[in-house]
Amino acid sequence: MQTDELIQRLVADTGAVRRLKSPWWRAIAWLALALPYVAVVAWVHLASFDAVAVVADPRFMIEQAAGLATALTAAFAAFASVVPGFDRRALLLPLAPLALWLASIGQGCVEDWLQLGPDGLSVRPDWDCLPAALIIGAVPAAVLFVMLRRGAPLHPRVSLALAALAVAAVSNLGMQVFHFRDASVMLLVWHLGGMAAISLVAGSLGGRVLRWRHAKGVR
Amino acid sequence: MTEGSDQDRRLASLMRSAQDGDDRAYAALLGEVAPLIRRMVRRRLAFLQPQDVEDLVQDVLLSLHAARATYQPARPFLPWATAIVRNRMVDRARRHARQAANEVESDRVSETFAAETTNMHEEGYGDAEALRQALGRLPPGQRRAIELVKLKEMSLNDAAAVSGASAGALKVAVHRGIAALRKALGAKGSAKD
Repeated sequence: MQTDELIQRLVADTGAVRRLKSPWWRAIAWLALALPYVAVVAWVHLASFDAVAVVADPRFMIEQAAGLATALTAAFAAFASVVPGFDRRALLLPLAPLALWLASIGQGCVEDWLQLGPDGLSVRPDWDCLPAALIIGAVPAAVLFVMLRRGAPLHPRVSLALAALAVAAVSNLGMQVFHFRDASVMLLVWHLGGMAAISLVAGSLGGRVLRWRHAKGVR
Repeated sequence: MTEGSDQDRRLASLMRSAQDGDDRAYAALLGEVAPLIRRMVRRRLAFLQPQDVEDLVQDVLLSLHAARATYQPARPFLPWATAIVRNRMVDRARRHARQAANEVESDRVSETFAAETTNMHEEGYGDAEALRQALGRLPPGQRRAIELVKLKEMSLNDAAAVSGASAGALKVAVHRGIAALRKALGAKGSAKD
C-alpha cells in the first residue's frame, strides 16, 4: 500500500478524540477512586480499630503519608511514561517518598531491636493477609491498567512496574492498618518486599501486556 | 525532526484541530509529517532497504494515529511526534538485528583443494570456530557491540539505536572486544604452535 493511501484511510478513520488529561490530573483521579475502595475494604475486614492509638503514633502516620505520596507519584510517573515526549526525569519522582518510607520502617526496625532484642527482628510467614491483599489491590489495579492503556506504550516495562508500585503502595495503606501493631521488620519484609516483587513481575510482563494497538483494517 | 518554532506551531495547530475532528487538518498534518518521518528514518537507519523505510514510515503513522489522544495542546508537537518515531525505529532496528542474526550467509567457492593451506582465505581469521568460541566468551556488552558494529557492519549511531548504549560506549566496547579477541586467538595460535 502507498503511504498516501494509508494517510487517506487514517483520515477516514478519525473523528474527534477525547484528549488525555495531564498525568497529575489522572493520578489524582485514580487515587480518588482507589482510596475510598481501600478504606471500605480495610473497614470491612477490620475487627477493631483504635483510631486514637493510630493517630497518636507519629511513625505510623509518617509511614502512611510516605505510602500515600509513593502511590500518587508512582501513578503520576506511570501516566507520564505513556505520554510521548514527556520529561523522563518524572519517572524518578516516586523514589523520594519511597526512600522516606523505607527510612521510617528502618528506624522502626532499629527501635524494635533495641526494645526486644533479636525477637524484634524475627520474620514469620503471614499468609492469612494474602487474600485481603489481593482483594484490596484488585480494583485499583484494574482501573489503573485501563487508564494506562489509553496512552502510548513507549516504555511498557517501566510503565507497568510503576503502575504496580502505585497499586501496591495504595493497597499497603489499608494493609498497614491491619498490621498496626506488627513489628517493623514484618512490614519491611512482607509489605515492601511484596511491593518490590509485584513491580518486578509486572515490569517483566510489560511488552506482552502493553503494546501498540493500531487501527484495524486500515493497513 | 527537531523543534522548529514556526513549523511546530503550525503542526501543533493542525493537531489540535485534528483532535477536534477536523479531517482536512488531519490530512494536512499527516501529509506534512510523513516526509519528516521518512527523512529521519533514512538518516538514522541507513541500513534499511527503501521498501523497509516506507513500511516503517507507515508503521509510525499508524502509531501516531493510535496515540493522537495523548497529545496535549499546551505542549510542542514535534517532541511528541519524535518520541513516537524514535520508539518505532528502535523496535524496527531490534527486529532487523534479530532477523539478521538468524540469517546464514556463505560465499560461493568455485574450486577447493584437499591441501589445508589452499583453503585458507587470504584475509580470513583462519579458524572460524575458534573465533566463534572466543566471541562467545566475551562479556555480553563487548560481544553485542562487535556483533552490531563489525559483523552486521552497522554505523555507531544505528548500533546505538539498537542496543540502547551510547555511540561512545559502543566504540570503547568494540575496541576492548577486538583486543580481547586478538589476545584469545593469538594465545590459542601460539599454544597450537
